[in-house]
Amino acid sequence: MDTMSYTTQDLWTWWIALYLFFGGLGAATLSISFLSDMYCRPHRNLVLWGALSGVVMLGISSAVLFGHLLHHVAVINVLNPLVLFRQPHAWIAWGTQFILWMMVWGIVYALPYMRETPSCVKLPVVGRLLEGPFVSWIVRCCQKRRRAIGWLATINGIGTAVYTGLLIQSFPAVALWHNPGVPLLFTVSAFSTAFAYLVVLMNVFIPDPNDTDIRHRFERFGLILIATELVILFSFFNYTLSGSESGYRSAQLLWHDKGWLFGFIGLGLVVPFFIDLKSVIRGWGTRLPTVSAAVLVLMGGYLLRHYFMYSGVYARPW
Amino acid sequence: MTRYAMVIDLNTCVGCNACMAACAMENQTPVWKNKWRTYVHDKEIGVTDQVRRRFFPRLCNHCSNPPCLTVCPTGATSQRADGIVLVDPNLCMGCRACAMACPYDARYEVTYADIDAGREFYGEEELQRQSPSMDKCSFCAHRLDKGMKPACVETCVGSARMFGDLDEPNDPVTQLVASGIAQPLMPYLGTRPNVYYIDDTKRKG
Repeated sequence: MDTMSYTTQDLWTWWIALYLFFGGLGAATLSISFLSDMYCRPHRNLVLWGALSGVVMLGISSAVLFGHLLHHVAVINVLNPLVLFRQPHAWIAWGTQFILWMMVWGIVYALPYMRETPSCVKLPVVGRLLEGPFVSWIVRCCQKRRRAIGWLATINGIGTAVYTGLLIQSFPAVALWHNPGVPLLFTVSAFSTAFAYLVVLMNVFIPDPNDTDIRHRFERFGLILIATELVILFSFFNYTLSGSESGYRSAQLLWHDKGWLFGFIGLGLVVPFFIDLKSVIRGWGTRLPTVSAAVLVLMGGYLLRHYFMYSGVYARPW
Repeated sequence: MTRYAMVIDLNTCVGCNACMAACAMENQTPVWKNKWRTYVHDKEIGVTDQVRRRFFPRLCNHCSNPPCLTVCPTGATSQRADGIVLVDPNLCMGCRACAMACPYDARYEVTYADIDAGREFYGEEELQRQSPSMDKCSFCAHRLDKGMKPACVETCVGSARMFGDLDEPNDPVTQLVASGIAQPLMPYLGTRPNVYYIDDTKRKG
């Protein structure tokens, strides 16, 4: 009866949600680790864990996308940095370069710390590479230009986080995606999940009583970003309720879905917000609540992207 | 200059699907998985005794501001001076961003498996495609370059599809578009499509 049809898409599904999640999380983790090392205080463990896990996350993100390409050999066309001159309007071209260079500068920044870490030097292949003349030369250059390399990595990291939103924004037919709030939401979410990841890291894997100040700072930043994300989401709710049929139908899908409401907004944002709020105001007797809140934020970060991809509605006049 | 455009008259499309068949044979589309460069939607509209069938042919709109081109990271999607939007399968890595960006659902996947199936369906010697990509209508650019019309226009029994040059004032297509009788789909998206439709839903009599 209706002359219009309304459909979601089945091309970019859970795997693109993983790509966006790990891309944003990995990039923001690297950026925060390096900024903290440069401007709070030098912190070998934070840089090593942050850089290595960040690079692994970016690797997973890229591998997921690569695995789903139709023509794997043609990916060479987007790995060449000159692609930015040929396709400056294509965000995937920018994103690929941001991710690539983020990984390069991330490893270069971490190299001096790796050389002075016995467990790294003792590794079979890595140890020999670290002692080699080429890596020694890079380490010397890096020590001279530490901040410049840190900022190169950070700029690429911020670029990657913003890119994840710009990519989704560039699809004009879907109101939920094609609006200025998406890059903002995805950037805030990327940094919020990265702070959560670093809180887990510093409480569970590299706990150090001397790092209390850094942990508290990360918790505070995380709390501010969760609050910002809630405000942005409320504005999305308001925006999708009217204005376009595509947006309205997306709102119907999202706000009637228990996974979105209770999984993402409830467990992924509201519960961690109150746990972190108490942590910042009064503190907790144990680390368990803070770590649990961080794990919930990480889960929420994936759910946001998952539901976003599945709820984009195309309105078509046939 | 030439600026190609198509006008589709929904009043005269009879839903015979000859355009789909002609296009599939001309451009070797993966029909075995129901993927076509042009597709005719068949829908019942109206209520009570006014219910009727509506046939709605759909294809790439060869937009003057094509979102599929701007999102393409490899440059596989390009636009000729005459407005035709083309895909180079050798450059396309198949990320599907073009399909996500297209409001007109014009793109579909051609996989390695489809190329194997195509060898059987269209013949080993005849199959022109070598690599997978996100495929779509090309307005039969290869036919236009030889002075012929697109296969779907040539074969349309109801003359529902008209093809012409918008930079030619005496072309019937130009006149239909200029008169406002033929309208583009979703012009508010800013894609500036070059496929126009003559509506069949206006009240008659």
